[in-house]
Amino acid sequence: MSTLDKKEARRLLKAEKQAEKHSLARNLISRRTNLFFNILLIIFCILIVFPLWIIAISSITSETALTTYGYRLWPMEFSVNAYTYLFRDGSIMITAYKNTIIATLTGTVLSVVTVGLYSYALSRPDFRFRKFFTFFSFFTMLFGGGMVSYYNMTRSVLGLKDTVWALFLPMSFSAYWVIIMRTFYQSSVPEAIIESARIDGSGEWRTLLQIVCPLAIPGFATVGLFSAIGIWNDFRNCLLINDSAKFFNLQYTIYQTMNNLRFLKENASRMGGVNVANLPAETFRMAMAVVTVGPIIMAYPFFQKYFVKGLTVGAVKG
Amino acid sequence: MSAVKPVTPKRKNRHASQGGWKRQAAYVSMVIPGVVLLLMFSYLPMPGIILAFKSYQMTMPTETSLFQNVFLNSLIASSWNGINNFTYLLKDAPMLIRNTVGYNLLFMVVGVILQVGLAVIINEMRNRKTAKVYHTIAFMPYFVSWIVVMYALYAMISFSGFFNQVGISLGHEPIKYYSQKQYWPWIFLLANIWKYTGQGSIIYLATLTGFDEQLYEAGSIDGASKWQQFRYITLPQLMPTIVMLQILAVGRIFNGDFDMFYSLPNGSGTLRQVTTTIDVYVYDMLKKGNLRNSFGYAGAGAFFQSVVGFVLILVTNFIVRKHQPDMALF
Repeated sequence: MSTLDKKEARRLLKAEKQAEKHSLARNLISRRTNLFFNILLIIFCILIVFPLWIIAISSITSETALTTYGYRLWPMEFSVNAYTYLFRDGSIMITAYKNTIIATLTGTVLSVVTVGLYSYALSRPDFRFRKFFTFFSFFTMLFGGGMVSYYNMTRSVLGLKDTVWALFLPMSFSAYWVIIMRTFYQSSVPEAIIESARIDGSGEWRTLLQIVCPLAIPGFATVGLFSAIGIWNDFRNCLLINDSAKFFNLQYTIYQTMNNLRFLKENASRMGGVNVANLPAETFRMAMAVVTVGPIIMAYPFFQKYFVKGLTVGAVKG
Repeated sequence: MSAVKPVTPKRKNRHASQGGWKRQAAYVSMVIPGVVLLLMFSYLPMPGIILAFKSYQMTMPTETSLFQNVFLNSLIASSWNGINNFTYLLKDAPMLIRNTVGYNLLFMVVGVILQVGLAVIINEMRNRKTAKVYHTIAFMPYFVSWIVVMYALYAMISFSGFFNQVGISLGHEPIKYYSQKQYWPWIFLLANIWKYTGQGSIIYLATLTGFDEQLYEAGSIDGASKWQQFRYITLPQLMPTIVMLQILAVGRIFNGDFDMFYSLPNGSGTLRQVTTTIDVYVYDMLKKGNLRNSFGYAGAGAFFQSVVGFVLILVTNFIVRKHQPDMALF
């Protein structure tokens, strides 16, 4: 009797499992569709990588091969001359690199500190002016003074023209990051911890620095990485605010190189004397682009999860 | 009525729960650095919007001037000229609006379809690990600056570029892309797809993975195909996210991706008709320092962008809130 029960039970369990497996299997896309999607995405990924591939390959092609055969998928003749020329003494690229690195490091620290503090206050339900300061930052997402006013205010009124400050200060605070960081505090720092710290007699600043900060490090990383990318890739602020080559960042320097070359090429016949062959060569320019984007592409896969978090948290209404 | 009324807990005294002034002072001190940066770079330029109604003339400050700064003094001293700056822009307005709004609408529509598509495909894939690799690659262009894209584009479409090499080997004449307008709307569209599809899909993917699995099981038991599940389960649930992101996009419809429109054409003058958006126009105006009142004209363009953008976002949000309250942004 009891063995029969057991058998019956085992049979039922098996049937149940099978049914479950069946339903799960049925709710997956078919293998053929899956194959189709894979092919589709492989093509898509090739198209994504392709432009960067062309830059990288042409930067390690010899100049003569590039002028003779044009841009190709694989170099007709290898050469790393462009890179050795790039980092010779007194190269504009060295100045640009130095400025960009200083700006990125300083700006990143500044954004983490300012955004971290601002959004902590906004995340506290007992902050009396919470609504006001939330609106104060949110409003900047909706309305701005426009480029002309910005141009004049930053250059002349704030006096940022031709300074390294221009390369990071305008980008070190954003209402968007405040939303990300506030949501982060609210979701990953338990209220009870803050409450108990308070009961133990800790002041607000001390609670933030000693209790909350260690818990909020992934949030800081997210804000810091977005800020770092923004400053590294900044073109517009440098274009608007800085006029002197001493204070150009990477993006603007390589933009200028391309632009100057086009100008010279177009006017070479008119100016007569300029020999186009002596201008910074094409491989050299491609090498500039490679060293500009290289560090980001190398570092990005390691930090991807923070970027994903930042982009998704910001989409939550608040 | 003998039932005892349930006792509602008394609300705590509001001020008691907010702590003393010391706590409030601590919070205020925390927001100060951020407030300073917002004031400097977001609020300070706002009053400058009146440039749009001024005939800007550089005026040197005197001893008695309110502001000793040349720009601020000129801003105040310059005479008002009504809507003259706007009428000056009128001749270029159709081209500018067509380019700016046209490209933005195109990017929005194509963008949503591709981004949602990519998110759904990645979510449905049987091989989870490779799906992740695909996504990592698709997300990458988001971190590549437009200036580097400009270089890549040059390597592909310049006279000796890759496409022309392929063309030559197939026996075609090389094409001068940088001086032929008809290619550029497509180049911008492709560049935009290239850069933003992976990034845009992240939000949709995160939303998708949060959906209740039971709905899909129920659907599949009732015999819904994968396509029907997408159409009747996924899409309706995804709608609030899509709508919210589109509201934000509508608010920016008069702002182009300045870096892209400004850098990709590589300064080619013959392309101006199809590459000049309001942003680019305002910048070009701004740089014509020698032209009289160019700041005023540029200011009019900027005013149009800011104010119309602001109104648009409020109106869209209002309409959405009226019909679908939970889809509204604020």
